[in-house]
Amino acid sequence: MPASSGIITLTQSLENLNGKHGISGSYEDMTAGVNVAVPSLSPSPGYVTEKKSTRSVAWFASLPDRQRHSQFLKEAVDLMLDKAVFDAASRTNRVVEWRSPEELKKLIDLDLPADRVSHDRLLQLLKDIIQYSVKTGHPYFVNQLFSSVDPYGLVGQWLGDALNPSVYTYEVSPVFTLMEETVLCEMRRIVGFPEGRGDGIFCPGGSIANGYAISCARYNFVPDVKKRGLHGLPRLVLFTSEDAHYSIKKMASLLGLGSDNVYLIHCNSKGKMDVQHLEQEIQRALEEGAAPFMVSATAGTTVLGAFDPIPKIADICSKYKMWLHVDAAWGGGALVSKKHKHLLEGIEKADSVTWNPHKLLTAPQQCSTFLLRHEGVLSACHSASAQYLFQKDKFYDTQYDTGDKHIQCGRRADVLKFWFMWKAKGTVGLEEHIDTVFDNAAYFTKQIKKREGFRMVLQEPECTNVCFWYIPPSLRGHEDQSDFSERLHKVAPRIKERMIKEGSMMVTYQPLRDQPNFFRLVLQNSGLDWADMDYFVQEFERLGSDL
Amino acid sequence: MADQGRNGEKCGPRAIILARLLRLLCEEGILEPSRKSPVVRFQHPDKLQEILSLEPEAQGVHMNEILHLCHDIVKYSVQTCHPHFKNQLYGGIDPYGLAGAWLAEALNTNIHTYEVAPVFVLVECAVLRHVLNIAGFPNGDGIFAPGGSMSNMYGMVLARYKAVPDSKMKGLSGLPPLVAFTSEDGHYSVKKAAHWLGIGTENVVAVKTDSHGRMMPSRLTCCIQQAIAEGKKPFFVSATAGTTVLGAFDPLEQIADICHQYGLWLHVDACWGGTLMLSKKHCHCLKGLERADSVAWNPHKMLGAPLQCALFLTKEKGLMHHCNSASASYLFQQDKFYDVSFDTGDKSVQCGRKVDAFKLWLMWKAHGSNGFESLINNAMDASRYFKEAIQVQPGFRLVLDEFECTNVCFWFIPPSLRGQEENDEWWNKIHTVAPKIKERLILSGTLMIGYQPLPHKGLRNFFRFVTSCHPPPTYADMDHVWQEIERLGADLW
Repeated sequence: MPASSGIITLTQSLENLNGKHGISGSYEDMTAGVNVAVPSLSPSPGYVTEKKSTRSVAWFASLPDRQRHSQFLKEAVDLMLDKAVFDAASRTNRVVEWRSPEELKKLIDLDLPADRVSHDRLLQLLKDIIQYSVKTGHPYFVNQLFSSVDPYGLVGQWLGDALNPSVYTYEVSPVFTLMEETVLCEMRRIVGFPEGRGDGIFCPGGSIANGYAISCARYNFVPDVKKRGLHGLPRLVLFTSEDAHYSIKKMASLLGLGSDNVYLIHCNSKGKMDVQHLEQEIQRALEEGAAPFMVSATAGTTVLGAFDPIPKIADICSKYKMWLHVDAAWGGGALVSKKHKHLLEGIEKADSVTWNPHKLLTAPQQCSTFLLRHEGVLSACHSASAQYLFQKDKFYDTQYDTGDKHIQCGRRADVLKFWFMWKAKGTVGLEEHIDTVFDNAAYFTKQIKKREGFRMVLQEPECTNVCFWYIPPSLRGHEDQSDFSERLHKVAPRIKERMIKEGSMMVTYQPLRDQPNFFRLVLQNSGLDWADMDYFVQEFERLGSDL
Repeated sequence: MADQGRNGEKCGPRAIILARLLRLLCEEGILEPSRKSPVVRFQHPDKLQEILSLEPEAQGVHMNEILHLCHDIVKYSVQTCHPHFKNQLYGGIDPYGLAGAWLAEALNTNIHTYEVAPVFVLVECAVLRHVLNIAGFPNGDGIFAPGGSMSNMYGMVLARYKAVPDSKMKGLSGLPPLVAFTSEDGHYSVKKAAHWLGIGTENVVAVKTDSHGRMMPSRLTCCIQQAIAEGKKPFFVSATAGTTVLGAFDPLEQIADICHQYGLWLHVDACWGGTLMLSKKHCHCLKGLERADSVAWNPHKMLGAPLQCALFLTKEKGLMHHCNSASASYLFQQDKFYDVSFDTGDKSVQCGRKVDAFKLWLMWKAHGSNGFESLINNAMDASRYFKEAIQVQPGFRLVLDEFECTNVCFWFIPPSLRGQEENDEWWNKIHTVAPKIKERLILSGTLMIGYQPLPHKGLRNFFRFVTSCHPPPTYADMDHVWQEIERLGADLW
């Protein structure tokens, strides 16, 4: 209901916009001056087809043209706001209208044509796409470590697209270069690096941010690696917990260290890294003649939401002179809350941190940061000093040309959406957001603990991940039987299938170590309340009671 | 703002901000910049910092203030969609591409599994299939990567895996050095990738290019033989189709022969020049592309998809998955109820990934292949016009007599330096001309164009002009470029 009232207001304002503003001006008005200024205008035979004396834009041109595109863009935006933003977030609508890949291929005409299709057809295609896409902004999408479509974040995103900047030099991205530094500095301050000093970058996802951490740690350990590679070096070994994100292994492969050289440290019953085992494994690596160089601690593990004991790990890192990285891609958001930041105690001792505002803080995808307490490592490690881009004889202070510390060349201005949300909500608003989602998680936990048929994987979840088994009535009381675990393992996939086919919610499941499949409900959307939590509980009971 | 910190459906009244933004973009002409408006309103970093209120605050600011901030951001950002933005290999954007980007963002989709991105997984497959056919890899595989540098890295990773499959698990320690080859005019990302992958920048051999910037096959053979003689293991050649500065196309056929002979992976960095494969008139530049093992192509460059839209293609299906997969059991559960071969995310080195395919798909639907072709031919035609125009202007000197892509590289020689002996001192002066004119161009906001030296060719600072599809360049735009340079360089030294 609130959604529909929003749509009306919005549509009205778009109507006003059409009448009052730019769209009514003609293209000729705008370009007339150019014809005067440059009398030698000779039309290019390749594209001017309609008139000789004025510029008209060919049907295939990438230049937005008021006459041709304003109606299309307006209708497309209206459609997106209506269907992909508001309807998509309405509790009365489905999270997904499920179709199998084979069916879906038939429902949407995906093939790429030789000849263009009409605007009406394009709008219809947009509708189809929205209809069959998963509505990740829906309150009942609690399936991944991202969700929500924050309106301010979306504005920042759209504005970024419209400006189409690439953040590598101050020359082409003056505003975003400064904005990145401002936001990164504030984030470092929140992490607890002294006075917010250090370095950092926005990168395409947390996996890549963890890759940066390995790269910087490796460079810090053996600077020669940049030039000479790993060939002549002893085996470099890094350590992370068995519950850490898979990107650490993936990145170790990518960076040439080899996934076998990621030593996985046991977790205790709460999913936290076992510090004694860490020290034993470091000793083992040393005895093998390998070179331990880095520990990646996790602040908010992917499945259980556990926080590794950073202060103790930091002590070990300092004892063995190893780089301490904290992968707070997921749990980092808790740092903005006075109530919850204790979870990340000790993070200020880290050499580097991964923190994704697109997760707990619901910035639109993608918005990931890599933060360092050290200055200079990032660019010493990654610079290539390309002469065509990072000319040193520019007329402004080229220390603002920050692009050479990246492994990307062109890079999106992911900072804008987050900065914009931050402005709109203030640090206070971000804090209230975090406190709300943690409160909802605590309430949900309390509810299912009281209900028959739910069993917690962890008694006291630390983050907003709530992991549990739903035990259908037919399995209750059979916990002692030898095949119980095997049968329970099949429950979650069945319930998941039902919920997706009905589109009533999306909650993910997974096995963990020797545990059978369990559900992980995970909250980031602060638009949810306790009634929604009750809904989730009831949905599990409704979907699973007859299994 | 009682509901501060809330989102989801309760945002109705506040989402008016989205409509206001659209109005702002129209009013400010962001989507269709006037040729009369400046490309940039330059401010030095310290000054700009004072103008913009960048610091996040404890309390949220009012909607009007928010719009004011948007306005300032727009005002002081470089108008990359402006017809006179000639500074980089990307620029204006396609309106359909923008609509595609906006939709994907409104849905906030992450394309790692069919479960969360059913439509977009199929869209990505459809686009990849289509492009693979055009590139000549009918049974290949591919992915959209966050930029061309990452695509080139994908090429190198696959090559490494193919050469030493064990490296995925065991790493490179203890192995003989692997050696990669690219031309001295190849993009710097090949070196960055070699560092990131643990191969080392010293193990990237820069192969000499001919006077036009094309890799010399005979020199490549020498370099390979030398590496072998040094006990190293050559594994990868990155040929370039459209070099960054000169726009040169390496001779792919001959390089493919050499790669075949030595059993090396042939990657083609076609980030810039790859767009020409969509034009029957110009696709001959990429002759031999189908013999490559992998290709990088950025539709966000010449074709005008919004940043970022970068494809990586490879000939061998399944290899990306073998090379990059980690089989995370929390994401790629094998007991899902649908065909999990559509969960394509594990072949990526990213975990979460944006839906970049959709922008290109919507553009393709809207223009058709024929529309793309006309657009490309127009960009090439405008570039040829520009080259011929400055050829006959006093004071302009071309770096090459012919250009293959839309790049046109040239020096501007101010009147005071014309007709003099061209000794070192003279060239030292010429070297300072481009930076000075560039400064004036930026401060006046009338044009943005790149310059750089090419030290390995002994070339001092010169301008690099490029055209791309969007906004479709006109002859008048071309004339504007040299006229502005002439105007602002007339009184130099």
